Amino acid sequence: MSQDLLQAILLWLPPTRGETAKVTTGNPAINGPTPKSWLVEHNNWVFLLPTVLFFVWYQVYPIIRVVWISFTDYKYLTNDPANWVGFDNYVEALSDPLMWDSLGRAAYFTAMFLPGTIIIPLLLAVLIHGVQNQRLATVYRVILLIPAVIPSTLVFVLWKWMYNYQIGPINHFLVEVTGWFTYRNAPQWLGGTDLTLPSVAIMEVWWGLGYHSVFFLAGLAAIPKDLPEAARIDGASEWQVFWHIILPRLQPIMLILVILRFGTSMGVIDEYLIFGGFNRESPTYTWTIFMYDQAFKTGLWRQGFAAAIGMVGSLVMMVFVTWLIYIFRSRD
Amino acid sequence: MKKEFPLTNIIRHTLIVFFMLTILLPLAWVLLLSIKSMPDSMRGNLWPRKFDFNHYAYVFEKIDTLPQNLFNSIYVTSATVLITSICAILAGYAIVHLKPKGSLFLVTVLVLSLYFPTRVVSIISIYEIQDYLSLINSTNGLILPYITLNLAVSVLIMRSIFQLIPGELIDSARMDGAGPWRTLWLIGIPLAKNGLVVIIIVNFVTAWGEYLLAATLTNDQEVRTMPVVLASAQGGMGQWAWPRIAAVYVIVVLPGIIAFAMAQKLFFKGLMEGALKT
Amino acid sequence: MRKEKELIYQQQLRQDLLDRKMDRREFISKTLTAGLGLAGVGVISNFGNFAQAQSRPLTPTFYQWIEDLHPGIPQVNSRFPDVNYQIAPVEGFGIERFVAEAKKKDSTWDVYVGQTPFVEMTAMIEADVIEPWDNYIPKDVIDDIIPSIREECTINGKMYGWPFLLDVIGTGWHAGIVKEAGLPDSAPATWQDYLSRADQVIESGAAPFGATFDANGWRSLAPFTHSLSSDVYTSEGLFDFTGDAAIEALMLMKNIMSKSHPDIMLAGTSDGGVNGTPDEVAFAAQRVGYYNKYFNAPLRMAQYWDNPKDLRMGPLPKFAGGEGSTVFWTTGAALFKHGKNKEKAAEYVKALTYDQQIWKDSIAGTETAHPGQLPPYKSLYAGWKSSQPDWLPDFVDLVRGQLDQAKAITNHLFGLQQFQIGKPIWESYLKGEEKNPRVAMQKVVDAVQAEMKRG
Repeated sequence: MSQDLLQAILLWLPPTRGETAKVTTGNPAINGPTPKSWLVEHNNWVFLLPTVLFFVWYQVYPIIRVVWISFTDYKYLTNDPANWVGFDNYVEALSDPLMWDSLGRAAYFTAMFLPGTIIIPLLLAVLIHGVQNQRLATVYRVILLIPAVIPSTLVFVLWKWMYNYQIGPINHFLVEVTGWFTYRNAPQWLGGTDLTLPSVAIMEVWWGLGYHSVFFLAGLAAIPKDLPEAARIDGASEWQVFWHIILPRLQPIMLILVILRFGTSMGVIDEYLIFGGFNRESPTYTWTIFMYDQAFKTGLWRQGFAAAIGMVGSLVMMVFVTWLIYIFRSRD
Repeated sequence: MKKEFPLTNIIRHTLIVFFMLTILLPLAWVLLLSIKSMPDSMRGNLWPRKFDFNHYAYVFEKIDTLPQNLFNSIYVTSATVLITSICAILAGYAIVHLKPKGSLFLVTVLVLSLYFPTRVVSIISIYEIQDYLSLINSTNGLILPYITLNLAVSVLIMRSIFQLIPGELIDSARMDGAGPWRTLWLIGIPLAKNGLVVIIIVNFVTAWGEYLLAATLTNDQEVRTMPVVLASAQGGMGQWAWPRIAAVYVIVVLPGIIAFAMAQKLFFKGLMEGALKT
Repeated sequence: MRKEKELIYQQQLRQDLLDRKMDRREFISKTLTAGLGLAGVGVISNFGNFAQAQSRPLTPTFYQWIEDLHPGIPQVNSRFPDVNYQIAPVEGFGIERFVAEAKKKDSTWDVYVGQTPFVEMTAMIEADVIEPWDNYIPKDVIDDIIPSIREECTINGKMYGWPFLLDVIGTGWHAGIVKEAGLPDSAPATWQDYLSRADQVIESGAAPFGATFDANGWRSLAPFTHSLSSDVYTSEGLFDFTGDAAIEALMLMKNIMSKSHPDIMLAGTSDGGVNGTPDEVAFAAQRVGYYNKYFNAPLRMAQYWDNPKDLRMGPLPKFAGGEGSTVFWTTGAALFKHGKNKEKAAEYVKALTYDQQIWKDSIAGTETAHPGQLPPYKSLYAGWKSSQPDWLPDFVDLVRGQLDQAKAITNHLFGLQQFQIGKPIWESYLKGEEKNPRVAMQKVVDAVQAEMKRG
């Protein structure tokens, strides 16, 4: 882990707005100039303890295991001991065109999905936030969260029905109702065609629409009401209010969403397994499927190589996130 | 309260209704599918020629553990949400307002962990851990790995929420002699309610739909959660007929929606209060 | 060593807990001080099952679909008083959990009902998960298994699979559509005939599409190849993609595709893309006349029809001068090496596989399922032949006849994988991107070889 990356993440993560900056600048009034006593320090750590405990147990151990395995020739289906092979797996992964293709596919999906899953809920949240009738607002909010109570397996089932080539309602509309297509040339949404990634992206946006909106509703609720009011009285248009008052205050939430959803969208796996299988030519065969294929499906399950694929993927993601962070920083 | 022009209002509601329909129409389609006769379920037409209401009986007969699985899911999800929220509140608060040594390091590791491919490759590690703890085939046992699924995200969210709470508020409470726990309880949590709503939802969505761990770590149908039981109904060579899967769909989703509608007051109170106080 | 001590102490604490000498709180604090840590939590959550730990009942684990398709299984279970029947933690062909347990020389289950030899048997052997049945299966049962099936379940002279449910690739057709097209209500004997009838279906307007198949190689390329020749496996045990028979089959696939629905090559929507395939939807929606797949598929899809009785089934067509073979596989039982109750397991699987009610339900169908899967035993077919039950349809005899020629896909670590890897490559020919089928198939061989070199 390079120092720069660390620095970038740490510098970025504190809020960028002036009014909250005080928070991060200690509080001499309480602790005074003397260094904290061991006891205080200890007491404070109690707050972190549950998180650290769970985190080390279920996250750090698996991560270390993955890193270690990526330097060995570990094959899961044999009982041969794993041998240290240095960077061999990495060399193999980096020189495999499939590695780069599959990373590119994941990036392509992310590029489609990420803006949609942030901008649309943001818009929707702003719209709903302005609803005056409380009863109506409640109805809207309940409907918004319905997709969130559907287990992921069922979300996929739903959309495999929606997109079904032969009898799905979408193609039914395009063929039988409008007559724009026939059953010989209607769009093939899922199953590894060029349309599959956009189709999955639409499904994911639909799924996240409600609960991402709630993220933003939480952020909107935290904005003091008099701020936009004052601006309006000063003659600002609704657009100006949104752009200069509302949006900057939603930035922390937006960044959390970007960070969170960038990781999940680059790492999508279940959806691709269901809608594209293990077809290596399919746009759904991303680095995660490549890794899964090697780790659990192919030959003797070369998990050493699979781990290297995973590590390459995550390193690429980390580099990209760092870059994103620099971009966001330069705007301050 | 400002007054809106009717035109703005009409546009606003039209747009909202459009999105609401986008959410609801696919679900209405499923509801309809669940009462279509078999031949009609294989025709694109929205309205069936013949209805068949027997699919629901079939489901209850076939998956006789469904109520138990539903209960397991509710139980595991609630416990996960509760424990993760507690962890995240404590950690978020401490990182921002108590700043113990090493907390920045912790944050860095939490952020980075989001980008490790643990989701897939860690299944074996987690199996090993659970086995060591003899938590295989235990509904309770699922809670522990579930907590970690979104722990990093939850802590980061709570952290950014606590950053929005002015340090002076916390400081003044402490000047009045309140310890860190009392300060958190009296000042921190009430102000962080909005964030709490968000992490509850994030954790709910993940735990409620989790499939891979649940399938790998349990053996008995009775200890399994709903997604596992559902997935096996629609996979393999014996995949269920579509209207029957649709019936399962309605059975599973409906209680969730009703519970949500009833809980929404509690749920959104946090949002509203936040708006009034600041 | 440490682990052993822990276990003994834990065992004792557990007993105290069970005897109510301690309450749970005390138990937890004691396990904590003993350094057992969170393990104590596990004990508590599990202690209901504690009594089973010493001698466990026979514990079989099944694929969910097997139970769904064969409602007679619980009846067999009821004859084994304390059988602990479970549904396997597998989806698609995932066997991770089994392997993970075998690594600790352990198994929660005694027998796994759901193993398909060419798909996973080699991997299960490599990973030391299963052991041969030879020491437990009665001699007369072995002799009763149809020879080609016995061969399918045998590796290096040992029987690692006990066959149960037989699936054979054949032809299904929609009698309503076929009659409307003015075609005879009989199985097309040759592929030539098959193709011209498919054309006739479309031209007559009886259905928009003539014929369909499942694009996964082991369900189309392999059986079509076998219909010309079943001697198509290399000395390595891999499918001979570049052989004349396979090339011929690939060209046939392209021919059929021109009379089929355009989404035929798309991945399915469950089990990693191999199930819930588009051909099933087309057949279920009554949009296609003829269908090649294992009989379970047309049977299952016909339940959606306005008149399910319109379904007819027959053998796979032949190439002129071809062998007329097809592909079959069995889904059967595997014996966990580190399981227990092995004799009992054999007894159980024997009872299961010979159960007359299961076979009647499978072949004739019940209210809820009609799998059409057949038994692996000669004696059962012979019995039905001598006193024909009224529920026995004709196709059973047809299939039995084919089984003497039909051949399973050769067992190999890449038995299934070779088709997964090859599919997108040979599809470049089917889509017309590559004109020469031989060039496409050579690329398949290269890709499979490259993957095998990786180990």
